[in-house]
Amino acid sequence: MIRDITIGQYYGQDSSIHSLDSRTKLMGVSVYIAALFLVKNSWWYLLLFAVILALYHIAKIPYRHLLKGLKGIMILLVFTFVFRLISTPGTPAAQFGIFTITEEGITKAVSLTVRIALMITGASLLSYTSTPRELADGLEKAFGFLEKIHVPIHDMAVIVMIAFRFIPILIEETNVLMDAQASRGVEFEKCSVWKKCRNIFSLLLPLFLSAVRRSSDLAMAMEARGYSGEGKTSRMYPLVYHTSDRIAYILMFLFLAGVIVMRIVNIY
Amino acid sequence: MMKVEHLKFTYAKKTVDECRVLNDISFSVQEGEFIGLIGSSGSGKTTLIKHLNGLLKADSGTVYFQGQNIYDKKYILSKLRKEVGLVFQYPEQQLFGKTVLADVCFGPLNLGMTKEEAEKSAKECLELVGIGEAYYYTSPFDLSGGQKRCVAIAGILAMQPKILVMDEPAAGLDPETKYMVFELVEKIRKTRNIAIVLVSHHMEDVARYANKVLVLHKGELVLSGTTEEVFTKTDFLRQIGMDVPQITSVTEKLIQAGVPMTAPATSVKEAEDMIMKVLRERGGMK
Repeated sequence: MIRDITIGQYYGQDSSIHSLDSRTKLMGVSVYIAALFLVKNSWWYLLLFAVILALYHIAKIPYRHLLKGLKGIMILLVFTFVFRLISTPGTPAAQFGIFTITEEGITKAVSLTVRIALMITGASLLSYTSTPRELADGLEKAFGFLEKIHVPIHDMAVIVMIAFRFIPILIEETNVLMDAQASRGVEFEKCSVWKKCRNIFSLLLPLFLSAVRRSSDLAMAMEARGYSGEGKTSRMYPLVYHTSDRIAYILMFLFLAGVIVMRIVNIY
Repeated sequence: MMKVEHLKFTYAKKTVDECRVLNDISFSVQEGEFIGLIGSSGSGKTTLIKHLNGLLKADSGTVYFQGQNIYDKKYILSKLRKEVGLVFQYPEQQLFGKTVLADVCFGPLNLGMTKEEAEKSAKECLELVGIGEAYYYTSPFDLSGGQKRCVAIAGILAMQPKILVMDEPAAGLDPETKYMVFELVEKIRKTRNIAIVLVSHHMEDVARYANKVLVLHKGELVLSGTTEEVFTKTDFLRQIGMDVPQITSVTEKLIQAGVPMTAPATSVKEAEDMIMKVLRERGGMK
């Protein structure tokens, strides 16, 4: 369960998507998510699903990872599905005790769950194909214009980068803690939900403590090396757009334009 | 008591970062033994000890505990975890109880002891590690690093294991606390007649306390035997990037310089005896 989290983990491969500028990829994810929200008919999701499958294929990331990323948010998906199913008014389709399932409920539940799932899949692709540093650099440059109105973009970018960087560390730490507590007789898999919740506590507390300790150590280490967050720093790896980025942008806008046109003319 | 046969293990099977960590490992642990497990970083020591209480399952090979195969479908792993206590590196990081006593009771309670039994066992073990009654109801987070380590070790001991496996129990401790921890482990071994498996990078500690040594190198068990047998193979150990105890390399140099001693010593006491013998013989010749 906890060991299956893959969001925020870089999956190194030599592919055309990996070598794209991170700004392009950020834009790509935004376009993809925008497209998800423009969907009117559930069949469109099939198309969007095909798109993400193709992108995973191009990025040479095994499809297994796509599913692994979803496993972590399984509970969220199930909850969304069930609540949408039983709480949408409309033509009744089936009755379970006090709950009425409506036809509209079924369509809405399916489309909302699929939307969240595809959103996560798309966002995971971004983190699979770009390192935390690239992402933070991309974010900083893409939103750099906001510095002019005194939004501390640089600080925000650093925070985002550190947050990303910490995910694998915390996962690693959780694994160690799970082993340690399992050695003290804690069952994490084969027990009741109530017991599970209590057992999770034996992980959460030490994990929080170590996160606080680690972050204060990190802050100290950064200050010791002269980091103050002020002034302009030069880039070791400057972000430059290449031909492939331009092609990617063109494809993205064609895709977005296509979706919008389909939405307006109401073909489906 | 415990027998490991032809253990093989691979991490991240069938992915790009597949890596074989353990290859055909066989050894046994008898009651009352003090086994030192040494090997350079990444040699698979930690992976190996995770097999001893069933945290990891080997790809092939078997582990027998008291004659029973632990990979048997009917075997209850939680029973094994009670019998084989595993103390991880930096065990103080797994503390979470409200009080010291509650934290030490956590393991025994999970493994089915009653509240009274658990508390009795916990108090006994806290006593052993030198944490007095005054600390029973304080938060474990208020203790010093060394004390936290002792509480964590007591938490494992309170489960009354038959085999105690410790991964670098002395890492990051000052010499005095470290000495205390080792003396404590030795005392427990003698009084309860349990077996100890000690994973360490520190050759002096291993030479001093262990009576059997296993050497891992790149996932293979390259050397095993009594402490003397292993540490006198100085050339081989250095070749695979390991060190030998200081006293061993000193006596080795003496031999090279022409002092007529039989073999390099593994403890200061032994070296002393050897040198005295040589001196006496010289005195006799006079």
